[in-house]
Amino acid sequence: MKAPVETVIVVDDDDAVRASLRLLLKSVGLEVQTYASASEFLSSYNAQQPGCLVLDVRMPGLSGMELQEQLNLQGAIIPVIFVTGHGDVPMAVEAMQHGAFDFLQKPFRDQELLDRIQRALVRDRENRVQLLQKDQIRTRLGSLTPREREVLQLMTRGRPNKLMAADLGLSQRTIEIHRARVMEKMHASSLAQLVRMTLEIC
Amino acid sequence: MRKKDCSNLAQMTHTSHAPEELQALFDAAVDAIIIIDHRGTIRSLNRSAERLFGYGAAEAMGQNISLFMPADQATLHDEHLQRYLTTRVPHVIGTGRDVLAQRKDGSTFPVRLSVGLVADSEPPRFVGFLHDLTRRREIEEDSRRAEGRLAQVARYAALGEMAAGIAHELNQPLSAIATYAQACDRMLGAPAPDMPEISDALKQVTAQALRAGEIIRKLRHLVGNRETERSDSDLNSVVEELITLAGTDLRQHNATLDFALSPALAAVSIDRVQVQQVLLNLLRNAMEALDGASADREIVIGTRAVADDEVEVYVRDRGHGVAADVASRMFDPFFTTKLSGTGLGLAISKTIARAHRGTLGHRSHASSGSEFFLRLPTLEKNPPQ
Repeated sequence: MKAPVETVIVVDDDDAVRASLRLLLKSVGLEVQTYASASEFLSSYNAQQPGCLVLDVRMPGLSGMELQEQLNLQGAIIPVIFVTGHGDVPMAVEAMQHGAFDFLQKPFRDQELLDRIQRALVRDRENRVQLLQKDQIRTRLGSLTPREREVLQLMTRGRPNKLMAADLGLSQRTIEIHRARVMEKMHASSLAQLVRMTLEIC
Repeated sequence: MRKKDCSNLAQMTHTSHAPEELQALFDAAVDAIIIIDHRGTIRSLNRSAERLFGYGAAEAMGQNISLFMPADQATLHDEHLQRYLTTRVPHVIGTGRDVLAQRKDGSTFPVRLSVGLVADSEPPRFVGFLHDLTRRREIEEDSRRAEGRLAQVARYAALGEMAAGIAHELNQPLSAIATYAQACDRMLGAPAPDMPEISDALKQVTAQALRAGEIIRKLRHLVGNRETERSDSDLNSVVEELITLAGTDLRQHNATLDFALSPALAAVSIDRVQVQQVLLNLLRNAMEALDGASADREIVIGTRAVADDEVEVYVRDRGHGVAADVASRMFDPFFTTKLSGTGLGLAISKTIARAHRGTLGHRSHASSGSEFFLRLPTLEKNPPQ
Protein backbone atom coordinates (compact mmCIF):
# COMPACT_ATOMS: atom_id res chain seq x y z
CA MET A 1 0.00 0.00 0.00
CA LYS A 2 1.30 3.40 -0.98
CA ALA A 3 1.85 5.69 2.04
CA PRO A 4 -0.59 8.65 1.98
CA VAL A 5 1.05 12.08 1.52
CA GLU A 6 1.44 14.34 4.53
CA THR A 7 -1.45 16.82 4.30
CA VAL A 8 -2.50 19.98 6.09
CA ILE A 9 -6.23 19.85 6.71
CA VAL A 10 -7.96 23.22 7.12
CA VAL A 11 -11.44 23.38 8.68
CA ASP A 12 -12.98 26.87 8.61
CA ASP A 13 -16.52 27.96 7.81
CA ASP A 14 -15.38 31.11 6.04
CA ASP A 15 -14.93 30.62 2.28
CA ALA A 16 -12.36 33.40 1.94
CA VAL A 17 -10.26 32.23 4.87
CA ARG A 18 -10.30 28.70 3.52
CA ALA A 19 -9.36 29.70 -0.01
CA SER A 20 -6.57 32.03 1.13
CA LEU A 21 -5.05 29.35 3.38
CA ARG A 22 -5.20 26.85 0.57
CA LEU A 23 -3.30 29.26 -1.66
CA LEU A 24 -0.71 30.08 0.98
CA LEU A 25 -0.02 26.46 1.91
CA LYS A 26 0.09 25.48 -1.75
CA SER A 27 2.59 28.28 -2.43
CA VAL A 28 5.05 26.66 -0.03
CA GLY A 29 4.46 23.24 -1.53
CA LEU A 30 2.26 21.72 1.15
CA GLU A 31 -0.60 19.35 0.36
CA VAL A 32 -3.89 20.91 1.47
CA GLN A 33 -7.41 19.69 2.05
CA THR A 34 -10.10 22.13 3.15
CA TYR A 35 -13.48 21.58 4.79
CA ALA A 36 -16.24 24.07 5.54
CA SER A 37 -17.45 22.30 8.67
CA ALA A 38 -16.32 19.89 11.34
CA SER A 39 -18.91 17.32 10.36
CA GLU A 40 -17.86 17.47 6.71
CA PHE A 41 -14.30 16.80 7.80
CA LEU A 42 -15.22 14.00 10.21
CA SER A 43 -17.23 12.13 7.61
CA SER A 44 -14.21 11.81 5.34
CA TYR A 45 -11.49 11.61 7.99
CA ASN A 46 -9.01 8.79 7.66
CA ALA A 47 -6.90 8.22 10.79
CA GLN A 48 -4.11 6.79 8.63
CA GLN A 49 -3.73 10.15 6.88
CA PRO A 50 -0.56 11.81 8.19
CA GLY A 51 -0.47 15.58 8.57
CA CYS A 52 -1.96 18.17 10.86
CA LEU A 53 -5.23 20.01 11.39
CA VAL A 54 -5.77 23.77 11.27
CA LEU A 55 -9.10 24.39 13.01
CA ASP A 56 -11.18 27.49 13.51
CA VAL A 57 -12.47 27.50 17.08
CA ARG A 58 -15.75 29.18 16.26
CA MET A 59 -17.78 27.40 13.63
CA PRO A 60 -21.43 26.63 13.09
CA GLY A 61 -22.49 23.17 14.18
CA LEU A 62 -19.60 21.36 15.84
CA SER A 63 -17.09 23.94 17.11
CA GLY A 64 -13.35 23.46 16.79
CA MET A 65 -13.11 22.48 20.45
CA GLU A 66 -15.88 19.92 20.09
CA LEU A 67 -14.23 18.48 17.01
CA GLN A 68 -11.03 18.03 18.96
CA GLU A 69 -12.93 16.21 21.66
CA GLN A 70 -14.39 13.87 19.04
CA LEU A 71 -10.91 13.19 17.71
CA ASN A 72 -9.62 12.60 21.22
CA LEU A 73 -12.40 10.06 21.77
CA GLN A 74 -11.44 8.29 18.57
CA GLY A 75 -7.86 8.20 19.82
CA ALA A 76 -6.70 10.20 16.82
CA ILE A 77 -3.13 11.38 17.10
CA ILE A 78 -3.21 14.13 14.48
CA PRO A 79 -1.86 17.41 15.95
CA VAL A 80 -4.37 20.28 16.03
CA ILE A 81 -3.51 23.96 15.58
CA PHE A 82 -6.36 26.22 16.62
CA VAL A 83 -6.90 29.56 14.98
CA THR A 84 -9.41 32.00 16.35
CA GLY A 85 -10.73 35.42 15.62
CA HIS A 86 -11.33 36.25 19.25
CA GLY A 87 -8.69 34.33 21.11
CA ASP A 88 -8.82 34.81 24.81
CA VAL A 89 -6.51 33.29 27.38
CA PRO A 90 -9.05 30.95 29.02
CA MET A 91 -9.98 29.52 25.64
CA ALA A 92 -6.33 28.99 24.71
CA VAL A 93 -5.69 27.30 28.04
CA GLU A 94 -8.70 25.06 27.57
CA ALA A 95 -7.60 24.09 24.08
CA MET A 96 -4.08 23.26 25.23
CA GLN A 97 -5.43 21.24 28.13
CA HIS A 98 -7.43 19.21 25.67
CA GLY A 99 -4.27 18.39 23.83
CA ALA A 100 -4.17 21.09 21.18
CA PHE A 101 -0.76 21.34 19.61
CA ASP A 102 -0.84 25.11 19.26
CA PHE A 103 -3.03 28.17 19.25
CA LEU A 104 -2.90 31.11 16.88
CA GLN A 105 -4.90 34.30 16.68
CA LYS A 106 -6.32 35.63 13.43
CA PRO A 107 -5.06 37.45 11.48
CA PHE A 108 -1.57 35.93 11.67
CA ARG A 109 1.77 36.20 9.93
CA ASP A 110 2.15 33.46 7.39
CA GLN A 111 5.54 32.48 8.80
CA GLU A 112 4.02 32.00 12.26
CA LEU A 113 1.48 29.61 10.86
CA LEU A 114 3.95 27.82 8.59
CA ASP A 115 6.43 27.33 11.43
CA ARG A 116 3.72 25.88 13.60
CA ILE A 117 2.56 23.65 10.78
CA GLN A 118 6.11 22.39 10.25
CA ARG A 119 6.47 21.63 13.95
CA ALA A 120 3.09 19.91 13.98
CA LEU A 121 4.09 17.78 10.99
CA VAL A 122 7.32 16.76 12.74
CA ARG A 123 5.29 15.83 15.80
CA ASP A 124 2.89 13.82 13.67
CA ARG A 125 5.78 11.93 12.08
CA GLU A 126 7.23 11.14 15.48
CA ASN A 127 3.84 10.06 16.74
CA ARG A 128 3.36 7.79 13.79
CA VAL A 129 6.84 6.23 14.10
CA GLN A 130 6.12 5.53 17.76
CA LEU A 131 2.76 4.12 16.91
CA LEU A 132 4.36 1.91 14.29
CA GLN A 133 6.96 0.71 16.78
CA LYS A 134 4.30 -0.12 19.32
CA ASP A 135 2.37 -2.00 16.69
CA GLN A 136 5.52 -3.94 15.82
CA ILE A 137 6.18 -4.81 19.44
CA ARG A 138 2.59 -5.98 19.83
CA THR A 139 2.86 -8.12 16.71
CA ARG A 140 6.10 -9.66 17.95
CA LEU A 141 4.57 -10.30 21.36
CA GLY A 142 1.70 -11.99 19.61
CA SER A 143 4.10 -14.41 17.95
CA LEU A 144 5.33 -15.80 21.29
CA THR A 145 4.05 -19.15 22.57
CA PRO A 146 2.36 -19.17 26.01
CA ARG A 147 5.48 -20.74 27.50
CA GLU A 148 7.71 -18.07 25.88
CA ARG A 149 5.45 -15.36 27.33
CA GLU A 150 5.91 -16.84 30.79
CA VAL A 151 9.67 -16.82 30.29
CA LEU A 152 9.53 -13.22 29.01
CA GLN A 153 7.65 -12.08 32.11
CA LEU A 154 10.18 -13.74 34.42
CA MET A 155 13.07 -12.34 32.36
CA THR A 156 11.84 -8.79 32.62
CA ARG A 157 11.58 -9.26 36.38
CA GLY A 158 15.27 -10.24 36.42
CA ARG A 159 14.67 -13.85 37.54
CA PRO A 160 17.86 -15.94 37.17
CA ASN A 161 17.66 -19.04 34.90
CA LYS A 162 18.11 -21.46 37.73
CA LEU A 163 15.13 -20.13 39.69
CA MET A 164 13.07 -19.77 36.52
CA ALA A 165 13.70 -23.48 35.80
CA ALA A 166 12.48 -24.34 39.28
CA ASP A 167 9.42 -22.01 38.93
CA LEU A 168 8.32 -23.57 35.69
CA GLY A 169 9.47 -27.15 36.40
CA LEU A 170 11.78 -27.16 33.40
CA SER A 171 15.43 -27.88 32.93
CA GLN A 172 17.86 -24.97 32.88
CA ARG A 173 18.82 -25.97 29.34
CA THR A 174 15.19 -25.67 28.16
CA ILE A 175 14.94 -22.24 29.80
CA GLU A 176 18.02 -21.14 27.90
CA ILE A 177 16.46 -22.23 24.62
CA HIS A 178 13.21 -20.33 25.43
CA ARG A 179 15.19 -17.23 26.35
CA ALA A 180 17.02 -17.30 23.07
CA ARG A 181 13.73 -17.72 21.16
CA VAL A 182 12.17 -14.75 23.03
CA MET A 183 15.11 -12.49 22.23
CA GLU A 184 15.03 -13.52 18.62
CA LYS A 185 11.27 -13.15 18.13
CA MET A 186 11.21 -9.78 19.88
CA HIS A 187 14.19 -8.51 17.87
CA ALA A 188 15.87 -7.57 21.14
CA SER A 189 19.65 -7.35 21.30
CA SER A 190 19.81 -7.04 25.07
CA LEU A 191 17.72 -7.67 28.13
CA ALA A 192 17.57 -3.89 28.69
CA GLN A 193 16.04 -3.36 25.25
CA LEU A 194 13.53 -6.10 25.88
CA VAL A 195 12.48 -4.48 29.14
CA ARG A 196 12.07 -1.12 27.40
CA MET A 197 9.87 -2.66 24.70
CA THR A 198 7.51 -4.21 27.20
CA LEU A 199 7.33 -0.92 29.11
CA GLU A 200 6.47 1.01 25.97
CA ILE A 201 3.30 -0.91 25.30
CA CYS A 202 2.04 -0.95 28.90
CA MET B 1 -63.56 58.72 74.43
CA ARG B 2 -61.37 57.68 71.56
CA LYS B 3 -63.67 54.83 70.65
CA LYS B 4 -66.60 57.22 70.56
CA ASP B 5 -64.70 59.50 68.19
CA CYS B 6 -64.21 56.77 65.65
CA SER B 7 -67.73 55.39 65.75
CA ASN B 8 -69.22 58.85 65.40
CA LEU B 9 -66.86 60.08 62.74
CA ALA B 10 -69.37 59.88 59.92
CA GLN B 11 -71.98 61.56 61.99
CA MET B 12 -69.60 64.25 63.21
CA THR B 13 -68.82 65.46 59.74
CA HIS B 14 -72.47 66.19 59.13
CA THR B 15 -73.21 67.94 62.39
CA SER B 16 -71.99 71.02 64.12
CA HIS B 17 -71.51 69.09 67.33
CA ALA B 18 -68.22 68.55 69.06
CA PRO B 19 -66.30 71.36 67.37
CA GLU B 20 -63.24 70.63 69.51
CA GLU B 21 -63.17 67.07 68.16
CA LEU B 22 -63.38 68.37 64.62
CA GLN B 23 -60.59 70.79 65.42
CA ALA B 24 -58.45 67.91 66.75
CA LEU B 25 -59.08 65.96 63.57
CA PHE B 26 -58.24 69.01 61.52
CA ASP B 27 -54.98 69.64 63.34
CA ALA B 28 -53.82 66.06 63.64
CA ALA B 29 -54.04 65.46 59.88
CA VAL B 30 -50.68 64.86 58.25
CA ASP B 31 -51.93 66.39 55.02
CA ALA B 32 -52.52 70.10 54.70
CA ILE B 33 -56.20 71.08 54.85
CA ILE B 34 -57.33 74.49 53.64
CA ILE B 35 -60.85 75.85 53.44
CA ILE B 36 -61.60 78.67 51.02
CA ASP B 37 -64.71 80.57 50.04
CA HIS B 38 -66.14 81.19 46.58
CA ARG B 39 -63.70 84.05 45.98
CA GLY B 40 -60.72 81.92 46.86
CA THR B 41 -60.18 83.61 50.19
CA ILE B 42 -58.60 81.37 52.81
CA ARG B 43 -61.05 80.83 55.66
CA SER B 44 -59.08 78.35 57.69
CA LEU B 45 -56.05 76.10 57.47
CA ASN B 46 -54.63 73.39 59.68
CA ARG B 47 -51.21 73.03 61.33
CA SER B 48 -49.87 70.85 58.53
CA ALA B 49 -50.75 73.58 56.05
CA GLU B 50 -48.89 76.15 58.14
CA ARG B 51 -45.88 73.85 58.35
CA LEU B 52 -45.95 72.90 54.69
CA PHE B 53 -46.30 76.40 53.27
CA GLY B 54 -44.42 78.32 55.97
CA TYR B 55 -47.22 80.80 56.75
CA GLY B 56 -48.76 81.28 60.17
CA ALA B 57 -52.56 80.86 60.32
CA ALA B 58 -53.09 84.52 61.19
CA GLU B 59 -50.94 85.59 58.29
CA ALA B 60 -52.66 83.36 55.73
CA MET B 61 -56.25 83.80 56.79
CA GLY B 62 -58.15 86.26 54.59
CA GLN B 63 -55.50 86.04 51.84
CA ASN B 64 -56.29 84.59 48.45
CA ILE B 65 -55.40 80.96 47.91
CA SER B 66 -53.26 82.00 44.92
CA LEU B 67 -50.65 82.82 47.56
CA PHE B 68 -50.03 79.07 47.83
CA MET B 69 -49.34 78.39 44.17
CA PRO B 70 -47.11 79.55 41.33
CA ALA B 71 -48.62 82.29 39.15
CA ASP B 72 -49.61 80.11 36.17
CA GLN B 73 -51.47 77.69 38.42
CA ALA B 74 -53.17 80.56 40.20
CA THR B 75 -54.74 81.71 36.94
CA LEU B 76 -55.90 78.20 36.21
CA HIS B 77 -57.31 77.84 39.70
CA ASP B 78 -59.27 81.05 39.28
CA GLU B 79 -60.75 79.78 36.04
CA HIS B 80 -61.80 76.51 37.65
CA LEU B 81 -63.44 78.37 40.48
CA GLN B 82 -65.30 80.77 38.17
CA ARG B 83 -66.44 77.94 35.94
CA TYR B 84 -67.83 76.04 38.89
CA LEU B 85 -69.64 79.07 40.21
CA THR B 86 -71.38 79.70 36.88
CA THR B 87 -72.00 76.13 35.72
CA ARG B 88 -72.04 74.30 39.06
CA VAL B 89 -70.53 71.35 37.22
CA PRO B 90 -67.67 69.95 39.28
CA HIS B 91 -64.42 69.28 37.42
CA VAL B 92 -61.94 69.02 40.19
CA ILE B 93 -64.24 68.30 43.11
CA GLY B 94 -64.20 64.64 44.12
CA THR B 95 -61.18 63.77 42.04
CA GLY B 96 -57.54 64.17 42.93
CA ARG B 97 -54.86 65.63 40.75
CA ASP B 98 -51.17 66.43 41.00
CA VAL B 99 -50.33 70.15 41.06
CA LEU B 100 -47.44 72.38 41.96
CA ALA B 101 -47.62 74.33 45.24
CA GLN B 102 -45.51 77.26 46.39
CA ARG B 103 -44.05 77.92 49.82
CA LYS B 104 -43.69 81.33 51.45
CA ASP B 105 -40.04 81.41 50.41
CA GLY B 106 -41.13 81.04 46.79
CA SER B 107 -39.90 77.45 46.36
CA THR B 108 -42.31 75.03 44.71
CA PHE B 109 -43.10 71.39 45.44
CA PRO B 110 -45.45 68.75 44.04
CA VAL B 111 -48.68 67.95 45.86
CA ARG B 112 -51.65 65.70 45.36
CA LEU B 113 -54.72 67.93 45.64
CA SER B 114 -58.24 66.74 46.35
CA VAL B 115 -61.10 69.16 46.68
CA GLY B 116 -64.42 68.78 48.44
CA LEU B 117 -67.44 71.03 48.73
CA VAL B 118 -68.56 72.13 52.17
CA ALA B 119 -72.08 70.73 52.36
CA ASP B 120 -75.00 73.19 52.12
CA SER B 121 -72.72 76.21 51.98
CA GLU B 122 -73.96 79.10 49.86
CA PRO B 123 -72.05 80.82 48.43
CA PRO B 124 -70.07 77.58 48.34
CA ARG B 125 -66.99 76.95 50.36
CA PHE B 126 -64.39 74.40 49.45
CA VAL B 127 -62.04 72.20 51.40
CA GLY B 128 -58.73 71.24 49.87
CA PHE B 129 -56.51 68.37 50.99
CA LEU B 130 -52.90 68.68 49.95
CA HIS B 131 -50.58 65.68 50.20
CA ASP B 132 -46.88 66.49 49.87
CA LEU B 133 -45.38 64.42 47.03
CA THR B 134 -41.78 65.61 47.43
CA ARG B 135 -40.52 62.42 49.09
CA ARG B 136 -42.37 60.17 46.68
CA ARG B 137 -40.99 62.08 43.72
CA GLU B 138 -37.49 61.72 45.14
CA ILE B 139 -37.95 57.98 45.48
CA GLU B 140 -39.29 57.77 41.96
CA GLU B 141 -36.37 59.81 40.70
CA ASP B 142 -33.92 57.57 42.59
CA SER B 143 -35.42 54.44 41.15
CA ARG B 144 -35.34 55.94 37.66
CA ARG B 145 -31.68 56.78 38.14
CA ALA B 146 -31.01 53.25 39.41
CA GLU B 147 -32.75 51.83 36.37
CA GLY B 148 -30.65 54.07 34.21
CA ARG B 149 -27.48 52.77 35.83
CA LEU B 150 -28.62 49.19 35.45
CA ALA B 151 -29.34 49.83 31.80
CA GLN B 152 -25.86 51.28 31.49
CA VAL B 153 -24.40 48.12 33.01
CA ALA B 154 -26.58 46.10 30.70
CA ARG B 155 -25.28 48.05 27.77
CA TYR B 156 -21.67 47.32 28.68
CA ALA B 157 -22.38 43.64 29.34
CA ALA B 158 -24.15 43.29 26.03
CA LEU B 159 -21.35 45.22 24.36
CA GLY B 160 -18.86 42.70 25.67
CA GLU B 161 -20.86 39.87 24.19
CA MET B 162 -21.24 41.75 20.96
CA ALA B 163 -17.53 42.51 20.85
CA ALA B 164 -16.66 38.82 20.62
CA GLY B 165 -19.05 38.40 17.71
CA ILE B 166 -17.79 41.51 15.97
CA ALA B 167 -14.15 40.54 16.49
CA HIS B 168 -14.79 37.22 14.82
CA GLU B 169 -16.82 38.75 12.03
CA LEU B 170 -14.10 41.29 11.23
CA ASN B 171 -11.17 38.96 11.71
CA GLN B 172 -12.37 36.61 8.99
CA PRO B 173 -11.91 39.06 6.10
CA LEU B 174 -8.78 40.55 7.70
CA SER B 175 -7.32 37.12 8.11
CA ALA B 176 -8.13 36.24 4.50
CA ILE B 177 -6.55 39.50 3.30
CA ALA B 178 -3.34 38.90 5.24
CA THR B 179 -3.12 35.34 4.05
CA TYR B 180 -3.83 36.16 0.40
CA ALA B 181 -1.24 38.96 0.44
CA GLN B 182 1.40 36.75 1.99
CA ALA B 183 0.64 33.95 -0.45
CA CYS B 184 1.03 36.42 -3.34
CA ASP B 185 4.36 37.54 -1.96
CA ARG B 186 5.58 33.97 -1.82
CA MET B 187 4.27 33.16 -5.29
CA LEU B 188 6.03 36.21 -6.73
CA GLY B 189 9.28 34.92 -5.24
CA ALA B 190 8.97 31.64 -7.16
CA PRO B 191 11.06 31.13 -10.33
CA ALA B 192 8.04 31.19 -12.66
CA PRO B 193 5.18 32.99 -10.89
CA ASP B 194 1.65 31.99 -11.89
CA MET B 195 0.46 35.50 -12.77
CA PRO B 196 -3.26 34.71 -13.34
CA GLU B 197 -3.41 32.99 -9.94
CA ILE B 198 -1.71 35.95 -8.27
CA SER B 199 -4.10 38.32 -10.01
CA ASP B 200 -7.08 36.30 -8.75
CA ALA B 201 -5.71 36.40 -5.23
CA LEU B 202 -5.30 40.18 -5.40
CA LYS B 203 -8.92 40.54 -6.52
CA GLN B 204 -9.86 38.50 -3.47
CA VAL B 205 -7.88 40.89 -1.28
CA THR B 206 -9.96 43.76 -2.61
CA ALA B 207 -13.20 41.87 -2.12
CA GLN B 208 -12.34 40.97 1.45
CA ALA B 209 -11.28 44.53 2.29
CA LEU B 210 -14.66 45.73 1.03
CA ARG B 211 -16.38 43.05 3.06
CA ALA B 212 -14.61 44.29 6.22
CA GLY B 213 -15.54 47.86 5.37
CA GLU B 214 -19.16 46.86 4.96
CA ILE B 215 -19.22 45.24 8.39
CA ILE B 216 -17.75 48.38 9.94
CA ARG B 217 -20.17 50.62 8.09
CA LYS B 218 -23.13 48.68 9.45
CA LEU B 219 -21.71 48.60 12.94
CA ARG B 220 -20.91 52.28 12.99
CA HIS B 221 -24.58 53.00 12.69
CA LEU B 222 -25.23 50.97 15.80
CA VAL B 223 -22.32 52.15 17.87
CA GLY B 224 -22.26 55.67 16.47
CA ASN B 225 -25.31 57.02 18.28
CA ARG B 226 -24.18 55.60 21.58
CA GLU B 227 -24.08 59.11 23.03
CA THR B 228 -27.55 60.15 21.98
CA GLU B 229 -30.33 58.76 24.06
CA ARG B 230 -33.87 58.75 22.71
CA SER B 231 -34.55 59.33 19.07
CA ASP B 232 -37.70 59.09 16.99
CA SER B 233 -37.38 55.77 15.26
CA ASP B 234 -39.09 53.41 12.94
CA LEU B 235 -39.20 50.12 14.79
CA ASN B 236 -38.92 48.16 11.56
CA SER B 237 -35.56 49.68 10.70
CA VAL B 238 -34.35 48.96 14.23
CA VAL B 239 -35.30 45.32 13.75
CA GLU B 240 -33.77 45.09 10.28
CA GLU B 241 -30.39 46.23 11.54
CA LEU B 242 -30.25 43.24 13.85
CA ILE B 243 -29.20 40.93 11.06
CA THR B 244 -25.72 42.47 11.16
CA LEU B 245 -25.35 41.81 14.86
CA ALA B 246 -26.94 38.40 14.90
CA GLY B 247 -25.44 37.07 11.67
CA THR B 248 -22.56 35.16 13.24
CA ASP B 249 -24.69 33.71 15.99
CA LEU B 250 -27.36 32.62 13.54
CA ARG B 251 -24.80 30.77 11.46
CA GLN B 252 -23.29 29.26 14.53
CA HIS B 253 -26.65 27.91 15.63
CA ASN B 254 -27.52 26.96 12.09
CA ALA B 255 -30.71 29.01 12.37
CA THR B 256 -32.47 31.33 9.95
CA LEU B 257 -34.16 34.61 10.75
CA ASP B 258 -37.46 35.49 9.12
CA PHE B 259 -38.84 39.01 9.20
CA ALA B 260 -42.58 39.64 9.52
CA LEU B 261 -42.64 43.41 9.62
CA SER B 262 -45.91 45.26 9.67
CA PRO B 263 -45.80 48.20 7.24
CA ALA B 264 -46.72 51.75 8.30
CA LEU B 265 -45.99 51.20 11.95
CA ALA B 266 -46.29 54.24 14.22
CA ALA B 267 -42.96 55.76 15.22
CA VAL B 268 -41.49 55.25 18.68
CA SER B 269 -39.14 57.33 20.80
CA ILE B 270 -36.39 54.94 21.81
CA ASP B 271 -32.73 54.44 22.48
CA ARG B 272 -32.00 52.29 19.44
CA VAL B 273 -28.96 50.58 20.92
CA GLN B 274 -30.80 49.60 24.07
CA VAL B 275 -33.80 48.28 22.20
CA GLN B 276 -31.53 46.35 19.88
CA GLN B 277 -29.81 44.86 22.88
CA VAL B 278 -33.14 43.64 24.17
CA LEU B 279 -34.00 42.13 20.81
CA LEU B 280 -30.55 40.61 20.38
CA ASN B 281 -30.92 39.02 23.77
CA LEU B 282 -34.30 37.57 22.79
CA LEU B 283 -32.80 36.29 19.53
CA ARG B 284 -29.92 34.64 21.35
CA ASN B 285 -32.36 32.93 23.71
CA ALA B 286 -34.37 31.74 20.74
CA MET B 287 -31.27 30.36 19.05
CA GLU B 288 -30.27 28.54 22.20
CA ALA B 289 -33.79 27.16 22.51
CA LEU B 290 -33.32 25.61 19.07
CA ASP B 291 -30.20 23.71 20.08
CA GLY B 292 -31.15 20.10 20.33
CA ALA B 293 -34.33 20.63 18.35
CA SER B 294 -33.85 19.28 14.86
CA ALA B 295 -36.85 20.20 12.74
CA ASP B 296 -37.74 23.87 12.39
CA ARG B 297 -34.69 26.06 12.76
CA GLU B 298 -36.45 29.23 11.76
CA ILE B 299 -36.81 32.18 14.09
CA VAL B 300 -39.44 34.77 13.27
CA ILE B 301 -39.03 38.37 14.29
CA GLY B 302 -42.04 40.55 13.60
CA THR B 303 -43.60 43.90 14.36
CA ARG B 304 -47.23 44.89 14.73
CA ALA B 305 -49.49 47.49 16.25
CA VAL B 306 -51.29 46.18 19.34
CA ALA B 307 -53.32 49.31 20.05
CA ASP B 308 -53.61 52.87 18.80
CA ASP B 309 -50.82 53.90 21.06
CA GLU B 310 -48.73 50.76 21.33
CA VAL B 311 -46.52 48.76 18.99
CA GLU B 312 -44.87 45.42 19.53
CA VAL B 313 -41.82 43.46 18.38
CA TYR B 314 -41.99 39.72 18.89
CA VAL B 315 -39.43 36.94 18.57
CA ARG B 316 -40.83 33.47 17.99
CA ASP B 317 -39.06 30.13 17.86
CA ARG B 318 -40.12 26.52 17.58
CA GLY B 319 -37.65 25.38 20.19
CA HIS B 320 -38.23 23.59 23.48
CA GLY B 321 -40.43 26.34 24.88
CA VAL B 322 -40.49 27.62 28.43
CA ALA B 323 -41.43 25.35 31.32
CA ALA B 324 -44.06 26.74 33.70
CA ASP B 325 -41.72 26.90 36.68
CA VAL B 326 -39.16 28.73 34.56
CA ALA B 327 -41.72 31.14 33.11
CA SER B 328 -42.58 32.48 36.55
CA ARG B 329 -38.96 33.28 37.38
CA MET B 330 -37.18 33.94 34.11
CA PHE B 331 -37.33 37.72 34.42
CA ASP B 332 -35.72 37.63 37.86
CA PRO B 333 -32.11 38.78 37.99
CA PHE B 334 -29.57 35.95 38.28
CA PHE B 335 -32.12 33.29 37.39
CA THR B 336 -30.78 31.16 34.57
CA THR B 337 -31.29 27.77 32.98
CA LYS B 338 -28.08 27.98 31.01
CA LEU B 339 -24.83 26.40 32.12
CA SER B 340 -22.81 29.52 31.50
CA GLY B 341 -25.57 32.12 31.75
CA THR B 342 -25.39 35.20 33.94
CA GLY B 343 -29.11 35.27 34.54
CA LEU B 344 -29.11 38.93 33.68
CA GLY B 345 -30.23 38.96 30.05
CA LEU B 346 -33.99 39.03 30.55
CA ALA B 347 -33.79 41.03 33.78
CA ILE B 348 -31.80 43.74 32.07
CA SER B 349 -34.07 43.62 29.05
CA LYS B 350 -37.06 44.12 31.29
CA THR B 351 -35.37 47.13 32.86
CA ILE B 352 -34.73 48.62 29.45
CA ALA B 353 -38.35 47.98 28.49
CA ARG B 354 -39.54 49.75 31.64
CA ALA B 355 -37.22 52.68 31.04
CA HIS B 356 -39.04 53.08 27.71
CA ARG B 357 -42.42 52.86 29.45
CA GLY B 358 -42.87 49.59 27.64
CA THR B 359 -43.31 45.99 28.67
CA LEU B 360 -41.42 42.79 28.04
CA GLY B 361 -43.41 39.61 28.13
CA HIS B 362 -43.76 36.03 27.07
CA ARG B 363 -46.61 33.94 25.75
CA SER B 364 -46.52 30.27 24.95
CA HIS B 365 -47.12 29.65 21.29
CA ALA B 366 -49.89 27.50 19.88
CA SER B 367 -47.70 24.93 18.13
CA SER B 368 -44.67 24.77 20.41
CA GLY B 369 -41.72 26.92 21.26
CA SER B 370 -42.06 30.35 22.69
CA GLU B 371 -42.76 33.91 21.78
CA PHE B 372 -41.29 36.89 23.58
CA PHE B 373 -42.52 40.39 22.93
CA LEU B 374 -41.43 43.92 23.63
CA ARG B 375 -44.25 46.48 23.64
CA LEU B 376 -43.46 50.13 23.32
CA PRO B 377 -45.68 53.20 23.50
CA THR B 378 -45.86 55.12 20.27
CA LEU B 379 -44.22 58.50 19.90
CA GLU B 380 -47.56 60.26 20.44
CA LYS B 381 -48.16 58.57 23.75
CA ASN B 382 -44.60 58.80 24.98
CA PRO B 383 -43.11 62.00 23.58
CA PRO B 384 -39.47 62.67 24.38
CA GLN B 385 -38.90 64.99 27.35
